[in-house]
Amino acid sequence: MTELDLIPVWISLKTAATATIITFCLGIAAARWMAGSSFRGKSIIDALFILPLVLPPTVVGFGLLLLFGRNGPIGQVLMQFDRNVIFSWSATVIASTVVAFPLMYQATLAALEQIQPNIEDAARTLGASEWVVFHKITIPLAWPGIAAGTILAFARSLGEFGATLMLAGNIPGKTQTIPLAIYFAVEAGHNSQAVYWVLAILMISLASIAALNYWKKRQYSGNGSKFTGWEEVPSHAGHKN
Amino acid sequence: MLDIKIKKSLPEFRLDVSFSVEHEILAIVGPSGCGKTMTLKCIAGLFPPDEGLIALNKKVLFDSRTGINLASRQREVGFVFQNYALFPHMNVFDNVAFGIHQLNQFGNKVIRERVSNLMHKMHLGKYEKRYPGQLSGGQQQRVAIARALVTEPQVLLLDEPFSALDSIVKESLQDELLDLQKYFAGHVILVTHNLAEAYKLSSRIAVYDAGRILQWDDKKAIIDQPANAGVARLTGVKNLFNGVIEEAGSTYTLINIAELRGLFRAESKSSVKFIKGQQVGVGIRSDHIKLTEESGKNTVPVQVKKIVDEISGNTYHFSAVAANGLETKLEAKIPHRQMEKINIGASCYLHLPPNNLVIMSR
Repeated sequence: MTELDLIPVWISLKTAATATIITFCLGIAAARWMAGSSFRGKSIIDALFILPLVLPPTVVGFGLLLLFGRNGPIGQVLMQFDRNVIFSWSATVIASTVVAFPLMYQATLAALEQIQPNIEDAARTLGASEWVVFHKITIPLAWPGIAAGTILAFARSLGEFGATLMLAGNIPGKTQTIPLAIYFAVEAGHNSQAVYWVLAILMISLASIAALNYWKKRQYSGNGSKFTGWEEVPSHAGHKN
Repeated sequence: MLDIKIKKSLPEFRLDVSFSVEHEILAIVGPSGCGKTMTLKCIAGLFPPDEGLIALNKKVLFDSRTGINLASRQREVGFVFQNYALFPHMNVFDNVAFGIHQLNQFGNKVIRERVSNLMHKMHLGKYEKRYPGQLSGGQQQRVAIARALVTEPQVLLLDEPFSALDSIVKESLQDELLDLQKYFAGHVILVTHNLAEAYKLSSRIAVYDAGRILQWDDKKAIIDQPANAGVARLTGVKNLFNGVIEEAGSTYTLINIAELRGLFRAESKSSVKFIKGQQVGVGIRSDHIKLTEESGKNTVPVQVKKIVDEISGNTYHFSAVAANGLETKLEAKIPHRQMEKINIGASCYLHLPPNNLVIMSR
């Protein structure tokens, strides 16, 4: 019986947090772009954004391998800078980000489409710049959807297995996240070791959901107000998948 | 003075209008989907017209020839939306104060004072801390008007501001708007599909249809002397006929109306001169038609077809026989107190008073 190894926990947290931050920014940017425009081929791009969610993670991982591999387009560019992401910690972040992105994107898009365009127009006529409209009106009104998307994206990156294994491999101390560690521990017959990690991931998941729920509730409904408008926003927006 | 001359292609029609507003309330009246709201959005900078010019006094807001297109925030135009469009995550005070904060000119104390003053004037003082969702429709619309006025814009655009309110609230809010000039000296454009509302609140009316202005005139002229049958129909003239000018005198006109099988005299106030033999439209409002028992000048024999009982009086639907033997429908509104005993199927005469009979070009 080995001592409790916390390194996978640390790698998982670092990976999920980084992937969530990247997804948060990319997801909101992509959703805002899609919500505010209509062009030919919009539905194709929309489908492309959601694709990682419907594809099996191993397919996503394989696709990423092709992209980032030595002969892949991105891999070639990285080679110029003498870099290689395959089987590195960055690969775990890339895999998690790609897989979590559709959840963030979808939840945010649904929330943005829920906002009456008149409300943003009203702010514009009152002298607000596009940036003020975005961060004073759009983001607060879409907040429940954004928060839900963030929770889901974090949970998804924390649990990411297939694409990570394909792109980052299972290198203990480097790319071995909790899900990978659990799988290989069980495979090697170290069940008690696996249980520790299962408990660890359970605690992280519960804590993050609790924290984000608190965050979601606190934001903009603080100082004792009774703003109840959010009930109209479907908080299940991102759950349907 | 606010000058508007814009063209814009829309899926259903082409918006092509030109008018101006001069420290007054101008009402734009027309059926839904005729380009009224689009006009306001073009003025506010929320939609660019394809071509044209929008100028506020000497300041050009939009000019397709020089490529000027000021952003909404630079136009000093207040916009009140049909569905209020309040910020649901801000309380009433923050909603009203939003515009002043964007000016970046005043400290919190001045903002507080200006917002409170305006809210007090608009009877909103006690709702400061409430959220839009906790207010009634009328209160929300008052907040929306206060929010638009607090930055002291040059222009106030009202897009069907009363259409979602019940009639009691609507009337009191309309009365408040009539007092608006006490604290607002700019130009006001009111978009509505309700002619009574337009007449009550405005000094001039522009009648829209399918992207064009059919008539732009003093409100009284719109009612008394519609320019054509389209305006007459949109402003609620129920009785419209085709006629031929028989005699055009200096104070009166004689028209032959085949649909009513007779010669009718009109004492028009119109400056337009008609000539003998000209094809014209003739109209009369249903509340101007009088019921009589005997034949006489400007009368037409009719039969009662239908009676509709309403608060203000009865609406009678009649039919007359046209020259070609077909049936002509007429409608008259008669107040209860003037009501005579008359039943469906009864025959009587309708008198069309010469000074209420309007002649329009076709």
